[in-house]
Amino acid sequence: MLMLHCAFVAPTRRHREKQKHLFLKRVQDRGRSLTAVPVRSWTGCLHGSIMRIARCLQQLQGLRLLRGSWRPARVLQPDPHGPSAARIPPQHRVLKGFHSSPAFAKDPRVPGRFVSEDDKKGQKSLVPHDNLFEQIAMGSKSKATFTKVIDVFNKRDIRRRGHVEFIYAALKKMPEFGVERDLSVYNKLLDVFPKEVFVPTNFIQRMFNHYPRQQECGIEVLEQMENYGIMPNVETKVLLVQIFGEKSHPMRKYQRIMYWFPKFKHLNPFPVPQHLPEDPVDLARLSLTRIANDLDAKVTVHQLPCTEVTETGEEVQRPYILGIQSPSQRELLAKHNPSRPLFVEGPFPLWLRRTCVYYYILRADPPLPQEKVEEPYDPERSFYYPLQLDFSLDRDFWDEEDFDVEDVEEGPVFAMCMTSQGDQATLGQWISDLQLSNPVLGRVPTLFRLDPGPQHLQRGEEEESDRSHRLHEESDRDDRPPGEDTEAVLDEEPRRSHMKQ
Amino acid sequence: MVFACDRLKPGMSFPKATRLLSLRSLTSVHQQHLLPSVPTRLVPSRTLIQNEYRRPGKPRENVLPWQKIKFDFSKGLEGIKKHFALLMKEVTDPWVGPEGRPLIEHMLEQNRVVWEFRGPESLEEWTLSSDREIGGQSEIHLKLGRNHTTCFLYGTLCSAPPKDGETRYSGYCTVRSKQPLASFDRKKHHDWSSFNSLHLRVRGDGRGAHWQDVKIPFSKFFLTHRGRIQDDQHPLWLDKINTIGFTLGDDADGPFQLEIDFIGVCKDPAHTEEFAYEKYKRNPQV
Repeated sequence: MLMLHCAFVAPTRRHREKQKHLFLKRVQDRGRSLTAVPVRSWTGCLHGSIMRIARCLQQLQGLRLLRGSWRPARVLQPDPHGPSAARIPPQHRVLKGFHSSPAFAKDPRVPGRFVSEDDKKGQKSLVPHDNLFEQIAMGSKSKATFTKVIDVFNKRDIRRRGHVEFIYAALKKMPEFGVERDLSVYNKLLDVFPKEVFVPTNFIQRMFNHYPRQQECGIEVLEQMENYGIMPNVETKVLLVQIFGEKSHPMRKYQRIMYWFPKFKHLNPFPVPQHLPEDPVDLARLSLTRIANDLDAKVTVHQLPCTEVTETGEEVQRPYILGIQSPSQRELLAKHNPSRPLFVEGPFPLWLRRTCVYYYILRADPPLPQEKVEEPYDPERSFYYPLQLDFSLDRDFWDEEDFDVEDVEEGPVFAMCMTSQGDQATLGQWISDLQLSNPVLGRVPTLFRLDPGPQHLQRGEEEESDRSHRLHEESDRDDRPPGEDTEAVLDEEPRRSHMKQ
Repeated sequence: MVFACDRLKPGMSFPKATRLLSLRSLTSVHQQHLLPSVPTRLVPSRTLIQNEYRRPGKPRENVLPWQKIKFDFSKGLEGIKKHFALLMKEVTDPWVGPEGRPLIEHMLEQNRVVWEFRGPESLEEWTLSSDREIGGQSEIHLKLGRNHTTCFLYGTLCSAPPKDGETRYSGYCTVRSKQPLASFDRKKHHDWSSFNSLHLRVRGDGRGAHWQDVKIPFSKFFLTHRGRIQDDQHPLWLDKINTIGFTLGDDADGPFQLEIDFIGVCKDPAHTEEFAYEKYKRNPQV
């Protein structure tokens, strides 16, 4: 049960003491029940809303008790009839709830360790609590050891001396222990703050930034949560209210996080999953489906990663090759003029959150203006409405939806692939596999433009001449001279772009 | 940013603060933390003449405004001719209509291409910046793409903070357009009050080999100052746009690239939202 030792705006100290005893007595009398302490008997400015939030948390606890999943409940309920009651005097029972939230009572599953003070006397460092982390972690750094360190610190001193430095050190150590994205650990860290000591009780304290170091420390915890993109929950809010009060800076920061994060969470129209697949083949599949412009595109696994043993007994690692091609790309490739070469370009980077993968594309140069053939629309493609209409209606400039800008001339992309090893042999294998579904590849010369530097998908011909080119010749093709590399830039007439809004 | 490159984000600049766009595709959820935790002093009043970037915390130079005006005769007559030509244009333009175009065109315009990259002089309109200025290691470059039809922005991001004891976060690269200037280097603003969306055609390393048409309504832009979202938000002033910028600031270290075909503004009749965020009270009740 939450025992909120509310601020007494009582005139004399004796009155305050009397009130305190009344409070303790009432708590003892309550026994096992979970009802809230009656509000109306208290004086004090803040307790109204604190009680509301406390009741909210009590309801949460009540729900958990009903579900039976919350074990530490029995530790905190003052049980006059249980065996522990004799050992723990009543006032200590109250104090236990005073300094820590009931949700974070010590978990009996983690055995406590006795850390002697003598060990740390000789070691004085600028960050005093780093040693504590090293000592208790003892090599294995995980969430359990991190929470154990926090428990050791909490247990050490009821007044939590040095908690600000400890929290700063803990925030710095979080990435090492791998808990920087865990909300429960942040809540436990906020729990280190003693409750209600930093809540301002009168208007002067409210005016003058009460306990600025602790407020900054609280802001720092929230800022690290914000950096890692973790949304706080209602426990964080209750903790902040208990520790700093409602109009404090950490509370304001919490409000800002809770306002802006939901707005940003689903803004990406192409979201990347939080946990990317570990398997490189699955990752490649995800990336290829992501960048394919067509929903009909199909991913084909041309080769899975395996280790082969050649005749000489060496082990050769075969990389994975995944390709993607859509039916419309296949049709376009079938119509491609065999006299014009195809280019395999790459590697191009693709960023997914923090990982960068590389893909290669098979494309051709843009067709010459003379070669462009406008195919008439096949009227059988659509029976419900005509695809072409001969009207002489024209739109005036106020109805134009397109931008008055020239088209960017670019050749069509016929297929894409991803592989771990981007050398000519692997990509040649990809092309030969593609040939099974696109027989025209057997007749067309394919050039490899593989570049390790930053790629742009359109290349200037002048910059190309000093890059390395490799020629790939199929055995059943005509020999083509490598003169295609140094083709002159074709002059394309500027056309209006027809972009739909 | 990029809508295509999962990481950069565009921004518009105001006299006092910067508006950044909150698109998730542009950046991760992380906000930009570019500055040390030292509270900033009052923003100085801007003079008519554009200043160089001054690193926050560095003391301001005590140069009086009239000492900053350069009477540079090295450029000779061309400079003077250019300024007087601009002045003539400014005087004669209102006779034709607002901004030198007939009124009917100004009123009924649906689209306008503001920046397109058709030659080396178009790169002069953009300023590059990265955290090199505060001691970091990111770099950014801008060049023209193939056939001089697009611009190519590329570089490397490195979020190691500079070792000066006060900067905590780092790692950003930005490209910003220069403020339009009237005659004698006076500042002018873009007037986009008849439009309501920004239209970009970009291709980057977040979405692969295909061009992406991205439309961002101006109502989605929110107010930030030096990387922190401000409490009191208000809609963008479309008639006082100074610059537009693209910033990459997520924590993914490594090379990035973005290709921009053109940047335009358009009037989307289906978009009727005025402002996407609440105009906050200063001290709301908890």
